[in-house]
Amino acid sequence: MEWFTDIYLDYTLRTVALGSALLGITAGSLGGFALLRRQSLLGDAISHAALPGIAIAFLLTGSKAPLVLILGAALAGWLGAALIASVTLRTRIKYDSALGIMLSVFFGFGLVLLTYIQKMPDANQAGLDSYLFGQAAALVQRDVMVILGIGSAIMVMMVLFWKEFKLISFDADFGATLGFPIHGLDRFLTGLFVIAIVIGLQTVGVVLMSAMIIAPAAAARQWTDRLGRMIVLAAIFGAVSGVGGAITSGRVANLPTGPTIVLIVSAIVVISLLFAPNRGLVFRRVREWKAGKNLRVDAVLVDLYTLASQHSSKDYPHSQRVLDVMSTISGPAKRTLHLLETLGLARQIDAQNWSLTGKGVERAQSVIDSQYGGKLSQ
Amino acid sequence: MSPSTEIQLIAVVVAVACALPGAFLVLQRMAMMSDAISHAILPGIVLAFFITEDLGSPLMIVGAAASGVLTVALVEMLRKTGLLREDAAIGIVFPALFSIGVVLIARYAGDIHLDIDAVLLGELAFAPFDRFILAGVDIGPRSLVIMSAVLVVDLVFISVFFKELKLTTFDAALAGSLGFAPVLLHYVLMGLVSVTAVGAFDAVGSILVVALMVAPPASAYMLTDRLKPMIIISCGIGATCAVGGYWMARYFDVSIAGAMATVAGIVFVLVVFLAPDRGLLSVARRRVSQKLLFGRKMLVIHLYNHEGLPEAKDECRVEHLEDHLRWDHQFANRAVKSCISNSLVNRDGSLLSLTEDGRILARQALVEF
Amino acid sequence: MDYAIDVRDMTVAYREKPVLWDIDLQVPTGVLLAIVGPNGAGKTTLIKSILGLVKSAAGSVLIHGRPYSEQRSNVAYVPQRGSVDWDFPTNVLDVVTMGLYGKLGWFKRPGKTERVEALRALAQVGMEEFADRQISQLSGGQQQRVFLARALVQDARVYFMDEPFQGVDATTERAIVDLLQSLRERGRTVVVVHHDLQTVPEYFDRVMLLNVRKIASGPVRDVFNEENLRATYGGRVAFVSALASKDDS
Repeated sequence: MEWFTDIYLDYTLRTVALGSALLGITAGSLGGFALLRRQSLLGDAISHAALPGIAIAFLLTGSKAPLVLILGAALAGWLGAALIASVTLRTRIKYDSALGIMLSVFFGFGLVLLTYIQKMPDANQAGLDSYLFGQAAALVQRDVMVILGIGSAIMVMMVLFWKEFKLISFDADFGATLGFPIHGLDRFLTGLFVIAIVIGLQTVGVVLMSAMIIAPAAAARQWTDRLGRMIVLAAIFGAVSGVGGAITSGRVANLPTGPTIVLIVSAIVVISLLFAPNRGLVFRRVREWKAGKNLRVDAVLVDLYTLASQHSSKDYPHSQRVLDVMSTISGPAKRTLHLLETLGLARQIDAQNWSLTGKGVERAQSVIDSQYGGKLSQ
Repeated sequence: MSPSTEIQLIAVVVAVACALPGAFLVLQRMAMMSDAISHAILPGIVLAFFITEDLGSPLMIVGAAASGVLTVALVEMLRKTGLLREDAAIGIVFPALFSIGVVLIARYAGDIHLDIDAVLLGELAFAPFDRFILAGVDIGPRSLVIMSAVLVVDLVFISVFFKELKLTTFDAALAGSLGFAPVLLHYVLMGLVSVTAVGAFDAVGSILVVALMVAPPASAYMLTDRLKPMIIISCGIGATCAVGGYWMARYFDVSIAGAMATVAGIVFVLVVFLAPDRGLLSVARRRVSQKLLFGRKMLVIHLYNHEGLPEAKDECRVEHLEDHLRWDHQFANRAVKSCISNSLVNRDGSLLSLTEDGRILARQALVEF
Repeated sequence: MDYAIDVRDMTVAYREKPVLWDIDLQVPTGVLLAIVGPNGAGKTTLIKSILGLVKSAAGSVLIHGRPYSEQRSNVAYVPQRGSVDWDFPTNVLDVVTMGLYGKLGWFKRPGKTERVEALRALAQVGMEEFADRQISQLSGGQQQRVFLARALVQDARVYFMDEPFQGVDATTERAIVDLLQSLRERGRTVVVVHHDLQTVPEYFDRVMLLNVRKIASGPVRDVFNEENLRATYGGRVAFVSALASKDDS
């Protein structure tokens, strides 16, 4: 509980947490579209490609004002994305190679510029470092204002163009036949994407940015099948990771913020993959087990009936071992027999033997009717 | 050897060592795995360091390889759940692993110089000062020795398994049915990538590893279709980037690794434009000269299709070409003139008709499909 | 004569290799036309080039006498099922509603009116109960019906469909044929890229045989014969004679 009062009282922590939350929201929501359009690694490439833009912006203007650097980063990122698309379209170079080349070459060039800047008198690249490694802890009020402004603009655009973005993500060709300019929309969405990445760089840095975009959305996808809810949930996961990371790294010594945020969101992904209803792996296993159980219940029931029909009465008892042998379903019949008893379909006569109850006989008959068309195979 | 020569030598060895597995990554459309692995090996290295307390220990290589293989295994596992696509899995796994590495360093090794900067960026300039001393003899810079060993491992692996690699690269299904265990080979290749990445960390950092693994092979891919020449050209281009980058860094007094990546980019751009056959300039030139040939074929086929039909009088006019084939006036005239001078078409006023040669060309062109 | 669809000299090349050569296609109104041809013949490319989804080297398209770009609201497209990721988080009703986005224009959100129209289209394909269903849970036949409903909701005059019968169950196939024929009764024009030669005479009035260039097009009775099929598919059509003779009866 102290943690929450901390945010209230500690200005720095509050600023960092707020900034990280806003960035988490923006990156997380746009990440929803990126995930669906298979652009996870594009985010990685764009964040690396942004570096020379930051350096050039600084070199040209001498200013480290966030808006200036963000603009430079966005232009470079946008150029990188455009080149990737262009190379993939016009040459035999494949998409993944284009990503790798733009990512590393742009970044390398950015490094060259950074080391050049280092040598300049009066220049110190401290502000620029935060883009590389994400120094959320260095966020100040001014930064947060910028993030809030830009982030809100992005969200407004997303809401405004919601159905258009949904259309081009799901079936762009169809959208074109309706008259929508799908290439323009695609470029616009990518542009928003670039901006979201660029402002997010300050929290987690270049290397981890792809996770900030994709992980919240990947987690959100597991919980819902509606696009709107998925985006909202992604935003929430992004915000929670951002705030959680900021607070945790603030309170624990020697814990850098960026990686902490990423670890939190990765944990959210793992939890979602396992425990989300419907899609979650744990639920899937339970469902399979239940289905298997149903199968076993019916099989043993029918076996009891079959065995009994060779005798005078339908509830003639048979031993558990016989049932084990008869059954084609793996696993001992014992557990299923107990289950049948709980369901009132069978009765334990003595230590080894079981028989069907009247209800069990009825049920067995209806199973046979539905499965075998009323006839028992002999 | 002067430090300058040593640095260049190291750079060349790193470039060639990266180009070798890189060629296969590019061909198998897994170029981004170089990015993922070169970051994800961090926790493996850190854990190895915790055990041995020695930055120069060979256990680091083992740790890195294990980390790299773990990355691939996790990505596969996630993909198999059917809940995540492969690119999303990669984009989540490697940052998570990298974060674990960074946190381990910050918490438990903050005062040792496993510096994130160095991990990401590397600095070749310091390499000559870190010597490898064996039994009191100065063999050379440590980076050079390590990278040469890595290069040898790469070379050995690729030569020994060349046939298998070739097959799994171009036809994984066939390789599997022939018993070549493409999955195993895949993991070994990734292990190789990890080992190369960790060896190169020291010198050039992880980003440059990506540049050297992807850009030279991609450039080579623009120049040739065959595997062995592609590998050799990749190594050649890589070496060029190494030396060129060094001198560029010297001249401008900037980061050597960054300069090498920049040169790799410049070479790539040059190749994209100037490559024979596949380069953009070559394609454009061909398109221009082909356009007239294409135009002739289109005209001849068009006339052939409409010959003898009732609409012939309309379809076979020069003006019609401009309308319906969407040719501009100039091009339409050029195409017609070219056909006439090649005795493919006769012109009567504005009505066009095929000669026998024209008919033959049309039929040939149609059969080509 | 007023054609519903008037394609002239459509030529599409990919990296200097021709995919479609000088295609002419005139389709009268109120007709069910099948486009058939071997793999790689350019059937999908033809549809896509008519709709402007693929760049053409030459050619013009008129829909009911006016250029296609002016007639988008009168043309509906049913792409191949495989062209879309069915794991996308959306439900059946949502997909069908997308067919109305063109009418809504920029920024406007679909409302109650659109919902009603979409449900009506779903009813036409027998899928109203599935309105809330996540599309990943649909079978092949159900997916196809959803795509059809999405086109129906546009109430277009001309329909282009790419292999709508591919991989659907017999009931769905029957339902689709009935639907197409009812469209024709109402004076709509339907062009279908079709993969199954056996069913051409039964389902369609007209057929176009295509293999990079137009081999023939016209009423099935006149055009769907052994000679043309052989010219389209090359020698490998042993069943061609069987088909042609079935046609004769």
